[in-house]
Amino acid sequence: MKNWQKIRRNPKLKQSLLVRERVIDAIRAFFKSRNFLEVETPLLVKRPGAEPYLNLFETTLELPDGSSQPGYLLTSPEYAMKKLLAAGLGSIFQICKSFRNKESLGGTHNPEFTILEFYQVEVNYEELMGVFEVMILAIAEATGVENGQLIYQGKTYDLVKPYPRFSVAELFTKYLDLSADELLDLAALRAKAISLGYDLSGLDSLATDFAWEELYNQLFLNEIESRLVDFTQPVIVYDYPAPQAALARKKQTDPRFAERFEVYLAGMELGNAFGELIDAKEQRQRLEADLDLRRQLGKKDQEVDYDFIESLEAGLPECSGMAVGVDRLVMLFADETEIDQVLFFPASEIFIDEATTPGVK
Amino acid sequence: MSTIKAGNIKKGIYILYKEQPHYVLKTQFVSPGKGSAFTRVKMRDMRSGANIEFNFKSHDNVEELDVETKEMQFLYHDGNEIIFMDPRTYEQLSVPRHILDEQALMLTSEIKVYLTIYDERVIGVILPPKVRMTVTEAHEAISGDRQTAGKKPVTMESGLIVQAPLFIKTGDVLLIDTETAAYVSRVND
Repeated sequence: MKNWQKIRRNPKLKQSLLVRERVIDAIRAFFKSRNFLEVETPLLVKRPGAEPYLNLFETTLELPDGSSQPGYLLTSPEYAMKKLLAAGLGSIFQICKSFRNKESLGGTHNPEFTILEFYQVEVNYEELMGVFEVMILAIAEATGVENGQLIYQGKTYDLVKPYPRFSVAELFTKYLDLSADELLDLAALRAKAISLGYDLSGLDSLATDFAWEELYNQLFLNEIESRLVDFTQPVIVYDYPAPQAALARKKQTDPRFAERFEVYLAGMELGNAFGELIDAKEQRQRLEADLDLRRQLGKKDQEVDYDFIESLEAGLPECSGMAVGVDRLVMLFADETEIDQVLFFPASEIFIDEATTPGVK
Repeated sequence: MSTIKAGNIKKGIYILYKEQPHYVLKTQFVSPGKGSAFTRVKMRDMRSGANIEFNFKSHDNVEELDVETKEMQFLYHDGNEIIFMDPRTYEQLSVPRHILDEQALMLTSEIKVYLTIYDERVIGVILPPKVRMTVTEAHEAISGDRQTAGKKPVTMESGLIVQAPLFIKTGDVLLIDTETAAYVSRVND
């Protein structure tokens, strides 16, 4: 049965879906009260970004003279918003759709999803962690959570700041007994994975960088992220290995790591933030390297958005920025476990269940 | 046995993981902040009955098990074992209870199920989507109890307790969903 039919039968169901409206209202009110400007940037773009592992939705722009060129649905509004930072708008935010192809439908993913992206000038990424904490509490209040104590799937989560913060290196030490040096070293990761009984036969054909990245991610997902579920507060994970943060600045005190943080709650990744890289030359090198990787992966060739590089050359203010998955926030505050329960028209319904007879399933 | 990519693991198949047969309960696409995609697989270890989760790299090779299925009839519980019989040959087979886990409470007299067999061992039991069961105990509904929204707990012949409508009486035959263990309807014979 389709969501609209379910709601027609049981009007109570719309409560979960309407949590979205309250979450978005609260986000807007929060940023406006802090004098952020709300901006709107295109969803249909020519240069969708270089992230090697993301898959794009491709379309064609056709002009009346018969000419045409490829267009794409954006995967994140990051480039356009940074150009606006270079334009001098100051702190900005946007709530918009983003699109990612070739991801499974349902669970915590929908190919079209709502993203909150915000940039605050003259704050570093640690200060931005604080901004996120206050924002979550503001949303909690607006959605009727009492005293910041969110009940999600029968478990109580304390949303009152401060949230526990762990660097990636601390987590590797805590859960895998690996030091910062070891977590950056393929041989050490390999030895650890073998001791845990992993099948590493797939790694042999990969170059060292790839192999390291795969193993790092697999160990992080299996041995660390799965343990963050035990916390009854949101957990902030920060200082990612530099190769894991293409648009973040490197840490001055230890350039092997970059100024990136993520927030996890109840097994969900809620957002991703950077101390923004504002060095045009370094950014250009990293994007070109990413495009090389994209080609090696056999994905459709893209060009660097040189307009973005030019905006960095013109000068970006010192800033930090964050992307937050709004659908996942809605899931939390609506106490739902599936993204399909907080979307009126989930893609799984549109594309897979299309042929079902009304009322029968 | 056939090799598949981890990205193609589907709910309901059997795979070999750490050299043990596992039944796939759920899969989920996972994309780390940066890097290639992973497939998160929730699966049941068919030897121990434990449910576990593992993130496979989506392009990892995984062995899908070709399992044999055999229609059998439920006979009785025997401690931690459940005894089934082949209705054609009368051959009996004993299956560890943990393989069925909570679904063991769905077994009623003479119910026909499919046993999945791998390497000459029973590793799974597939139940029909719905089963008929008799109510052995149903108390009179207490009027005015709004909290339960018109439902009351009733005990079925297998010991299963389901939330059923207030009009259900002892001796009624109910249709039960074997996956969710929920009341579907009363069967009017």
